[in-house]
Amino acid sequence: MPRFRARTIAATLGVAAALVLTLRGQAPDARPFLQIADIGLPAVEEGGAVWNESHVPWTSQARAGRAAGVELVRAGVSGRSYATGKVIVRFRDEVAAEERRSIVRQASSTGEIATRRPYADFDIVRINPGEDAEAVAAGLNLRPQVLYAQAAYRVHATFVPNDPQYADLQWNLRLVNMEKAWDIQPQAGSSITVAVIDTGVAYRNATFSVNLRSFTHAGIRYPALGVQTIPYAAAPQLVGGSGSGRVVAPYDVISSGGNSPFDFDGHGTHVSGTIGQLTNDGIGTAGVAFNVKLMPLKVLCGDWDILFGTPAARCSTDDQVALAIRYAADNGAKVINMSLGRTSPSTCAANRNAPGCAPAVEDAMNYAVSKGVFIAVSAGNDFDRGNPTETPAEIASRIKGAVSVAAVDLSKNHARYSSSGSWVELAAPGGGGGNDDLGYIWQQTLDFRFVNTFDLPVAQYRAPRFDVMAYIGYDGTSMAAPHVVGVAAMLMQQGITDPAAVEDALEKTAIDLGASGRDDLFGFGLIDARNALFGKGMTK
Amino acid sequence: MKPAIALVIALGALTAASPASAQARAAGATGLFDATGDAPMISLRPFLDVSNEKFLAVKTFDAIFGETSAQFWGGGLQVTGWHGRVYGELGASRLMKKNEQLVGQRVFVSDGKVYKLGIALRSTVKPVEFTAGYRFNAHPRIIPYVGAGFGSYRYTEQSDFADDSENVDVTKRGGIFHAGVELRAHRWIGAAIDAQYTHIPGILGNGGVSQQFAQESTTQAKKERDLGGWAARLKVVVGR
Repeated sequence: MPRFRARTIAATLGVAAALVLTLRGQAPDARPFLQIADIGLPAVEEGGAVWNESHVPWTSQARAGRAAGVELVRAGVSGRSYATGKVIVRFRDEVAAEERRSIVRQASSTGEIATRRPYADFDIVRINPGEDAEAVAAGLNLRPQVLYAQAAYRVHATFVPNDPQYADLQWNLRLVNMEKAWDIQPQAGSSITVAVIDTGVAYRNATFSVNLRSFTHAGIRYPALGVQTIPYAAAPQLVGGSGSGRVVAPYDVISSGGNSPFDFDGHGTHVSGTIGQLTNDGIGTAGVAFNVKLMPLKVLCGDWDILFGTPAARCSTDDQVALAIRYAADNGAKVINMSLGRTSPSTCAANRNAPGCAPAVEDAMNYAVSKGVFIAVSAGNDFDRGNPTETPAEIASRIKGAVSVAAVDLSKNHARYSSSGSWVELAAPGGGGGNDDLGYIWQQTLDFRFVNTFDLPVAQYRAPRFDVMAYIGYDGTSMAAPHVVGVAAMLMQQGITDPAAVEDALEKTAIDLGASGRDDLFGFGLIDARNALFGKGMTK
Repeated sequence: MKPAIALVIALGALTAASPASAQARAAGATGLFDATGDAPMISLRPFLDVSNEKFLAVKTFDAIFGETSAQFWGGGLQVTGWHGRVYGELGASRLMKKNEQLVGQRVFVSDGKVYKLGIALRSTVKPVEFTAGYRFNAHPRIIPYVGAGFGSYRYTEQSDFADDSENVDVTKRGGIFHAGVELRAHRWIGAAIDAQYTHIPGILGNGGVSQQFAQESTTQAKKERDLGGWAARLKVVVGR
């Protein structure tokens, strides 16, 4: 869970307890709210506090650079790669064609001047691919008839998303080497479905009619607001406004499918953004695997789930997590994100039936992995609260094909909250908190200023709105796991289809941090998306 | 130029350039000739060859290129002495592939399974080899020989999306042993078939999948550090 929410956990529990008392007469299987329409107005998008318009767009030149990559290339004496078989030459204008041919022939016995292409003020001299283009160019440069000659040095595709907040706020994506990873795989996981087991996702527009009853919170009684019409909107930067095509098989485990998995909290939407926020559209932030399909699976309750009437006892339990995992595996998900957890005994590996262990979740995770699904679990945020063992993170460490993910900050240091232990397998950016924007992981999600109205003084308390989106910074291992999930989706897209091999690839290409080798703070180290996707050659 | 065309041109040119004195002796023969008895004290003998090499690092080559052997073509000069009993030869060869390259793709290997990643990888191997040996003049036109030597092997490896530091251009020395038989079809032309073993350490096994395979505890592991292999070679020799 994100530390952003830590302050509100106690309040939430208090509110939940109050509601259990207040709403005890409500039938446990009653739908807590009424969705009165499948449509609603699109979200109101609010920008972040910091904007920077400077960016390097995904230019045609960059694409041409990638196209150049299919040519034979060679590292020249200068140390730079060039395409073999040609030299770029500009002759003085007064040099006649026959003289040009003669000069070329003297520099290279196989040299032929190609037909000049439109817009070119230079010629391409075709030479034998075995010839040293730099040497031929050097020979031509000695001739007074030649203004310049050079090898056709190779340019790299350098995909830097033009999302304006990418450059300013998303240190996390650069930390895991995403730009070079996107060069390798510009489709960014397009054929992979990622299940997000969380608080739901803001993936569609809707309008709700809810009877908001009174409740007591921290000794203060908040008044009933009666029946309220509450707008809900999809996060435009997650689903493009309509949600069509991006979201597959959404499911609310809490209501057994009775409701859609709407996110009334923001956590699941934020996590989904890190995995697959729409990218390079000139708006907001970027995501890791920005073309994946998303499967929202709701098992966690937000504050408003409780306030809308969902009994707290029906939320966020092991059976729901297990059901969600199995649902994902049976409905086409190839990767699962679980930014959730709880403390557990340290002895579950030896005796999984001991009190506090989670055999139902363990079996479900084994089932999913056996069906080819990779799972990433947040390691937990309790390092500075006694650092207890966390589950299902600990379970993940025992399953080849599932990983637990710790968090690092901007400087690749252990995030002070990130739980540590023998179960930690990988690290990813989770943010270090603090007052600096760069202490957080930023994504578009519900604007808490319009959601958490119960944090306002009683006199200002009002019905929430779920149609206002903002770029919000969270920190926590909840934010770290989605990085791993996004890269895992790209690895699957790249051809590593076995979840155990995905884990292997992530671990073997991770940047070792802390103590040499695997350690309890960082596991095998900080994931490196580019290294994982690049794989291995014969000798490097 | 294609190897076959080069071979024909070279043979034609070298045959046409035979010394006059030699032509005189050939003209005096009755059609049969004794290659061993006819051999001068020292003879210069250009040759062209093609070979099919089965690499020792079969797991590495199979993972990257999907094949474990490759064809080379080349040529060189052989010098025989002591009336054809001893020889030394210097030759160079190239991969018989488009742009002299093996083209495969980068991979990830996990638990013995190879996952191809669709990232193009191109390799070249350019041997320059010197060998010396003994020729057994036991038969007028069938001449077995054995030899050994060393070579210089330039290996390059380039991948799409690689930084310059991730491409490879390295030259290492290796050892050679070969044995075969030369068949004299004509006083000036012979064909040789031999088996050649090369041992080229220092290129494979230090990184990439070759290192991964080399670190396995199998009998094959040691071979994954060796760029050499077993080659069957067909050589056309011009000269006596």
